[in-house]
Amino acid sequence: METFYTDSPQVQQIIQGLNLTRTLFVSSIVIGEPHIGKKTLVTHLFPDIPVVSGENQDEVEAILEHSDELIITNFEKLSNKENLVFDNKRIIATADYIGNQKTIDSLFAFIYMMPTYKERPEDLKHLKTRFLEEAAATLMLDASSYTLSQLPTDLTQNSKSLKRTIYHYLMSRNMSKKEIEETLYTYFIEHLEGNNGYKEYVGMYERPLIKAGLEKYGSQLKLSEILGINRNTLRKKIHEHGID
Amino acid sequence: MSTASIDFRPFVEWDNNPFILFDPKGKILYLNNSAEILLGYVSKKELFDLALAYAPQNFGYKTTSISLRYEAFNFYSITVGYENEEQLAIRFYNAPRLRNHTPVEKEKLTLTDINLLLEANIALFKTKNSNPLQLLTDPDMPQLRIDQNRFSKLLRKVLESFRASDSIRIELKLLVGEHVIIDEQKISIAQLSTTANGRYVDNDKEIKILSEECNIRSNLQESSIKLEIPLIA
Repeated sequence: METFYTDSPQVQQIIQGLNLTRTLFVSSIVIGEPHIGKKTLVTHLFPDIPVVSGENQDEVEAILEHSDELIITNFEKLSNKENLVFDNKRIIATADYIGNQKTIDSLFAFIYMMPTYKERPEDLKHLKTRFLEEAAATLMLDASSYTLSQLPTDLTQNSKSLKRTIYHYLMSRNMSKKEIEETLYTYFIEHLEGNNGYKEYVGMYERPLIKAGLEKYGSQLKLSEILGINRNTLRKKIHEHGID
Repeated sequence: MSTASIDFRPFVEWDNNPFILFDPKGKILYLNNSAEILLGYVSKKELFDLALAYAPQNFGYKTTSISLRYEAFNFYSITVGYENEEQLAIRFYNAPRLRNHTPVEKEKLTLTDINLLLEANIALFKTKNSNPLQLLTDPDMPQLRIDQNRFSKLLRKVLESFRASDSIRIELKLLVGEHVIIDEQKISIAQLSTTANGRYVDNDKEIKILSEECNIRSNLQESSIKLEIPLIA
């Protein structure tokens, strides 16, 4: 059983509503952007009800014929929604978007709109902690060396993008020189082609090198000394790579 | 045949049309069962003023066609009369109720705790609205057979009508003494009343349709929606 945690008053109201109706034969739907915990929420609350994706039209129809309870995920992907009969059944659905409002309105008694993580800052903090601990354990790192505030918060695809960026953040800070070289090697094997490869790809080392150097040493003069190159050469490269 | 020895009072008492006898100051001398229920919806003074306004000029009786509505009561006519200076009578004629054509299919209805459905709908409402909401309910309300999904849809539509209202008050109570006949059985009625300072009317058509499908009588006013729910056991 998946666990679900929330501190958001809005989501707690959804949980209360779903819990109150758990013994009733009513149809409920939780609608909200992808990757905000809809499926985790309903499977956590109703662990014994079979779960079928709306992508499997035939399976949904077959279960509805024999069973009086069902969780339908990705409800928006079902193509014959209008013909479904939910009378005297306990149906809990999740959908990434409303689609046809009229159909949803006539099929479901309880229509819950689940807020995104942007609208649930309390839950975002919890999720970041969870992903940090998970990523640190997977990558065999010490989670306590990182603070939540230093972690990036990319919510363009909600929890999916957030998880990805946290893994990426941790990996990028724990790669050895050899691993970086291997990464570049793999990249070049896949991408190197054309007739201007050197100029095109040399920026991949020079740009981060100069950007990090400027941030670390503050002045071009100092950086040129550290890099052991002429100040004019450095200035030219800064201009070439469009570094501010 | 002489009718002098017949006591007509029980016939008046159990007449479904309200009957009230006032004294000259508006004090009620007698009222029948139906009038007792009517007084739950309208003040004594209002009815006395009505009797005065439509009383005949001389002793006797006058019947006036007039359309009156007091919540669930609908009248098409009244008779006001007096035979002496001490008693003024008014009788209200019930307008025929529209028959509900939705048959009750008991086997499709589920025994339900209405308070549970109400609370779940309030939780749903609160996910979208932060309006102050007061719920007065009767915890001893008996369970009733109802189409849970359809009734929930109806409750959602009713509450949505109050989405921008202040101080919403929801009250669930048993209508004492009121019944509805379903399948030749006398069924008690519960009233769910939702009141606020005003409301949206965009859901009214759907509320009426869903109510009818649930065998519920709906009374939609400017700032309130009242549902009379038969407590089918």
